[in-house]
Amino acid sequence: MGQIRRYLRIVSLLIKTGLMQQMAYRPHFVSMFAGKVIRIALLLLFFQAVFLKVDRIGSWSYDQVLLLFATFHVVDFLMSITFHRNLAFYLPQKVHSGDFDARMLLPVNLLFLSSFERIELIDFASFLPTLGFLGYVLSRLEFSFTGGQLLVYLILLANALLFLFAAVLAIASLSFWTTQSSGLARIFDSLLKVGRYPIEIFEGFWRSVFLYILPLVLIAQLPSEALLGILSPRAVLITGAMTGFLLALALLLWRAGLKQYQSASS
Amino acid sequence: MIALDAAGLTKTYWYYEKDPGLLGALRGLFRTRKTPVEAVRDLNFEMRLGEVVGLIGPNGAGKTTTLKMLCGILHPSEGRIAVLGFTPSRREKAFLKSIAYVSGQRNRLFWDLPAEDYFRFCKAIYEIPDDLYERNRRRVIEVAEIGDILTVPQRKLSFGQRKRCELAAALLHDPKVILLDEPTNAMDLLSAGRVRQFIREEAREGKRAVIVTSHNMTDIETVCERVTILDKGRILYDGLLRNLNHADHSVKRIRVRFQGTWQIESLRQLGKVTLLQEDEISLEVEPARAPQVASCLLSTSAVRDISITDPSLEEILGSIYGKTS
Repeated sequence: MGQIRRYLRIVSLLIKTGLMQQMAYRPHFVSMFAGKVIRIALLLLFFQAVFLKVDRIGSWSYDQVLLLFATFHVVDFLMSITFHRNLAFYLPQKVHSGDFDARMLLPVNLLFLSSFERIELIDFASFLPTLGFLGYVLSRLEFSFTGGQLLVYLILLANALLFLFAAVLAIASLSFWTTQSSGLARIFDSLLKVGRYPIEIFEGFWRSVFLYILPLVLIAQLPSEALLGILSPRAVLITGAMTGFLLALALLLWRAGLKQYQSASS
Repeated sequence: MIALDAAGLTKTYWYYEKDPGLLGALRGLFRTRKTPVEAVRDLNFEMRLGEVVGLIGPNGAGKTTTLKMLCGILHPSEGRIAVLGFTPSRREKAFLKSIAYVSGQRNRLFWDLPAEDYFRFCKAIYEIPDDLYERNRRRVIEVAEIGDILTVPQRKLSFGQRKRCELAAALLHDPKVILLDEPTNAMDLLSAGRVRQFIREEAREGKRAVIVTSHNMTDIETVCERVTILDKGRILYDGLLRNLNHADHSVKRIRVRFQGTWQIESLRQLGKVTLLQEDEISLEVEPARAPQVASCLLSTSAVRDISITDPSLEEILGSIYGKTS
């Protein structure tokens, strides 16, 4: 409990420090806030356009597609405000410049620090409308869902975040060997967007890729199916096993990467 | 108490050789030559609490690599290290709370925030109790002379001011082992003097082990009693600074200004003439013969001024590096 309290205190300190740094430049703070609001507004416009122009995607109805979209964006937001930019972009930069040295000297779990060093409180402002949108979609669903379905949905959301954490960590860890891995992170980001569409829109090779090799279905589709009550318990177990496997692999890569770290010349 | 113990320490880096120019870069995409560099070779080193050691050597000698292995940033390729009984590469919390590493060329403070905010960050991260924090904070602020710049954002401070803030921050948690990599690098005389004073103050009570690397020999002469000379990753000398002159190339320098005429041939019989001007010469002689040569000079010539000195640390090091290159 003591350790959990300590790390919660550190998270709150990191958030506070991030906010203080952003507020050091008032115009930047204001423009960033405006930027986030515009981003949300554009997202909502996009959802509206989908409503107006498309009847069904695959076997998914409007409301079900909206649930998929909202679920994807909740996971995407949670990822982007926490570990994504820290691991995918800041970590390779620090490894490249040698600034990672200073982090290695702090008496804090290095993976924790590398994953959550910069948490920007301003992003939470843009998360609230996304949550609101999810609430709106849930209220539109034609049938009600049970508490059990909701619980599995929440567990699969956590699993999706863990899966993405493992994937981003594995890619970021490569920077210890290549010194640069942001290119790979960008490719992953582009592929990730596939996760907001039903897998039914893909056929053949790509369907197999997104099901078995890079199982992006588990980000939004499987949690959505769980909430809709159409996901088998076996699929839930397989999803957990896949995440566990990827996480173990990512942690191995991370540890090997730390051994490999060469710093930069003084 | 032994603070630091390294045995057979070796670090090999690998890098990819690349031909110059665009063609070389293109070729490098398809064909790479992996080349090993042995930055540190079979280094054996021991240090006690209370010692201040100067780690010196030419560029690429392995000084920074050694420090980074001692603080756990780099994993050694071979050999073992114990710092306060810990293996640095394991990065245990108790170990990290006992050491401080400050690089003269890197900034770890928050660029847009004042040092005071970084101090508070350190307090939380290192879990420094309130009373200890207040005591240490007061002490490092006083010694580093940063009381008037504590609330100024780092980006508005000079390089020397930033480095003093960083040194102060690195000592808030009361580390037992302090590793300083070129702490006065690129500083003006005043700032460098303050940093040297700071290091001396920190080492004074004998409760810490301090290693300083520097190309500025004034840093070494001012703060270190012991020096370890590295070249090409190997130790060339490890011992007291004052014994360095006698280690293997004992020499005294006699500088004489004459009033009247003097004979160069007779001077060459006394020792090696190294500086020759109209009325001034410099002679290098064996230390045991120095009084006798000086007496001879005074009795045979009209001397206006005479001094007997040791060669400077730079000259001694130059001669040591010269022998190994």
